[in-house]
Amino acid sequence: MSNKQYNVPLIIRGQIITDPDFEFGGRRGGVTFHTPDVAKHIGQLTLSAPSKMADLYSLSLDEILDFLADLGQRLRFDSNAHLREAFSLSCVTSGLSESILRYQYENIPFFFSRDEMAMMVERSCGANYLEGWVAQPGGMPGVSARVRAFGSRAVHVIAGNAPIVSILTVIRNAFTRSDCIIKTPSNDPLTATALARTMIDMAPEHPLVKHLSVAYWKGGDTTVERAIYDPRKIEKIIAWGGFDSVKHVTQYLQPGIDLITQDPKLSSTIIGKEAFADDTTLRSVATRLALDVGAQNQEGCVNARVIYVESGTDAAGIERANKLGSLTFDALQKLPPHLSTPHKAFDMNLKSEIDGARMNDDEYRVFGGRTNEGAIIVSQDDAPVDFSRQLGCRVGNIVPLDDLQNAIRSVNAYTQTIGIFPETLKEKLRDQLAFQGAQRLVSLGGAATVQHNMEKQDAIEPVRRMVKWVTEEYADGALFEAIAEANPDIKAVGM
Amino acid sequence: MSDLYQRLLDDPTDFHNAVYCDGFKLTRAQIDTVQLEGVRKRFGELRPQIAMLDKLATEQSVAAIDTINDIVPVLFPHTFYKSYPLSYLEKSRFDKLTRWLNGLTTVDLSGVDASGVELIDDWLDLLDRETPLLVSHTSGTTGKLSFIPRTKAQWRQTVLHSGHMLRHWWGENSGPDLLNEHYPLIIPGYRYGGSATQRANDFMIELFAGSEDNALFMYPNARFSADVVSLAGRLRTAEARGEQGMLEIAPALLNRRQELSELEKRRPQDLQNFFDTARTKFAGKNVYIAGVWTLLYDWAEAGLKEGHAGIFGKDSVLFSGGGKKGKALPDNYREQIKEFLGFDNAYEMYAISEQMGWSIMCEHGHYHIPPVIVPFLLDPVTGNPLPREDGVTGRLALLDLMPQSYWAGLITGDEVTWGGWQEPCPCGRIGTYLHDQIRRYSDKEGGDDRIVCAGAPEAHDQALAFLTELSM
Repeated sequence: MSNKQYNVPLIIRGQIITDPDFEFGGRRGGVTFHTPDVAKHIGQLTLSAPSKMADLYSLSLDEILDFLADLGQRLRFDSNAHLREAFSLSCVTSGLSESILRYQYENIPFFFSRDEMAMMVERSCGANYLEGWVAQPGGMPGVSARVRAFGSRAVHVIAGNAPIVSILTVIRNAFTRSDCIIKTPSNDPLTATALARTMIDMAPEHPLVKHLSVAYWKGGDTTVERAIYDPRKIEKIIAWGGFDSVKHVTQYLQPGIDLITQDPKLSSTIIGKEAFADDTTLRSVATRLALDVGAQNQEGCVNARVIYVESGTDAAGIERANKLGSLTFDALQKLPPHLSTPHKAFDMNLKSEIDGARMNDDEYRVFGGRTNEGAIIVSQDDAPVDFSRQLGCRVGNIVPLDDLQNAIRSVNAYTQTIGIFPETLKEKLRDQLAFQGAQRLVSLGGAATVQHNMEKQDAIEPVRRMVKWVTEEYADGALFEAIAEANPDIKAVGM
Repeated sequence: MSDLYQRLLDDPTDFHNAVYCDGFKLTRAQIDTVQLEGVRKRFGELRPQIAMLDKLATEQSVAAIDTINDIVPVLFPHTFYKSYPLSYLEKSRFDKLTRWLNGLTTVDLSGVDASGVELIDDWLDLLDRETPLLVSHTSGTTGKLSFIPRTKAQWRQTVLHSGHMLRHWWGENSGPDLLNEHYPLIIPGYRYGGSATQRANDFMIELFAGSEDNALFMYPNARFSADVVSLAGRLRTAEARGEQGMLEIAPALLNRRQELSELEKRRPQDLQNFFDTARTKFAGKNVYIAGVWTLLYDWAEAGLKEGHAGIFGKDSVLFSGGGKKGKALPDNYREQIKEFLGFDNAYEMYAISEQMGWSIMCEHGHYHIPPVIVPFLLDPVTGNPLPREDGVTGRLALLDLMPQSYWAGLITGDEVTWGGWQEPCPCGRIGTYLHDQIRRYSDKEGGDDRIVCAGAPEAHDQALAFLTELSM
């Protein structure tokens, strides 16, 4: 148990406020942190007038990316005191072990590499749209149009399961020239703060610093939220995860506020019969599956939880599924510590469920699950465990099937990623899975370790929705005169 | 009184027939001995007869019980009495459900043929007819019901025990003797059904009321259906499992949703009629009322507004529990209820439905655990037993030594603080007690503003939410 106390400052547009007005307990480890009372500073937190966005337009996109790349250089874990403090608090509040967190914090500069950010811009809005007015093809004869993507005033209610959420938020806010208030969660109140403080150390008066605020208030605090979630003060709310946090937000929705949710999701796996071709293949499949289940200790929405396997459900089929279960559990135990470890705060309710399943060996085979080492539970029939939505802490459930149609029908709008083996099966099923609601289909093993395209998350394009797509249209005055006079020689189409 | 210690050493179940208050006059050392001997006796008797207990004991390498905490590894997590897969209910595999239950009880169920059964209610009826059991179910919000294999004989003992408690809790013969001097029963619930409340009804009518017409139920002819209770939670789980999940719910059961909505719409009127009848039929008499505080307050508030007060005889009794269910009641709710009902003899209990005994609150706000229920506090993270010292807080586990047809050692989901180990309660009762600040661990974890991206929202079926209250 750590009794260390942390200060979580309130950061408003370059200003650091540290009054310890409130004390909050983190979820795990008995740690507490102090924060200023956000309500006292609420007037400064939101941008009073949209015209104050103009300073962001004195910067070119290149200058913005240069600034971020420079920031990345300063986010070195070995030398940045703010990051080290965030890491130290996360070691207590996060579900990730110290070795995994260390690896993630050490990797932060990667996301700020200039090339990577430039591609991020291309995958989302396109640099040309952020930099200027882009002519649009087609349309009515005599009418032309140009479009530009403008930043908006937004509140980001971020998730705390991994530092990447804070990183993406800061980068996206900067290159879209937006004004953001980050509302941090209690399981990671300091990573976004560390990024902001490093920016202040770099250039306290920089426009990008002046359009970034980071605050912790308890989600659902009506004094704060009623004052902020007001269409006169903000235009967008970007809410990550957390069913409750989204519910809090919805009560303030009204015309003029656009809610962009990255809803809580679960992910799964579909493995075709080809996995059982021979021992070598099965071992490879088990290793890749262990990665999808165990990476980042299964704290993410991308991690595999229920694993549908076309093993057959006769006695031989169940044995095949059990073999895969046993190999996967072994592979899970061998994952490197920077990716996965026994969970430091294993969910005791889940443990009770595993204990119950273990007693029922007609229905379940349980590999592991004795303490906090993780488990693979193999259903001995074609149904997932009843507690499938509680799976976490490196616990997967293998479900043997005769026919993969059952697996496809189990996919719904809460299904984010599906890891699939073999590739031919992915191509065969991808349209059908998409109809059902699946949002990301990956090669088995790629669910939680690599991600190509964060700009398309949960089947939406969050960055495209963060900006305002403003249109400027042109037509010759003669066209309007003709419309007004109903001149038969000039035809105006479409009205 | 003097022979109670020896009686409990011989057989802890004998407490059901004891002068209740005597249980709290044993010395601390006597209680500890009764409990250690009782644990040895029950574990020794039940292990060879209950497959799941034996399996867990083998897994955990528990053999001899030298000290009381040696039993902790074989306390059942709350999941054990519902460790069957939900697909048994979905696919009407009651043959498998019977085999599963057989692993949890000393009663031999191998001769029961449940293969043609389609509904939980029918399965319960079959077991009622063909076995000594009167299986009760919980009203779990997940749709998965726990099934508790208690015998008819022990249900009778449970109600007798309740009678002795009402009579002797505040001291010997301090309360009415319902077993000999019958009272009308007023119960705002179902007459029939399989949840613990309804399982007791037959015995309460016989032993407390004396006859059927001396008991008033809100739904005198209706059954609290296990299938319907389970449906609410199953719909949620099913929807989260996509199309496949919905396919697995029988259409006949889906149609019952409509019935429930109708029932819910009529509920305020039904309640009003029930309370009006209770008042007009039994005014001035001493009665037995069971009900949760929220419901009683609603009745009292409405009744006082209409000018009714002091309705029942002053020797009436009120049996309550269930907390306040998240509703805000005014500070003086107890006074208002008392003013309306005309009496204040309330027995407020903490209990878990898997057990025969319960803990009643004293004048100092403490729930006193009787000597035949062995309490444990466990570390919420490691599950290891915490010191048996006053003021310690942890996850409560209880082993009731009275049940003989199943293992009644269970780990609850409640965080409690206990006392009575070193210093007895100022009320004078000896033995362990619980402070009244009891909360669910799940509530604590849910409200902490921790946000992660993993999860799936539940489809909330509001129309079915009220069922839980009806099961009390």
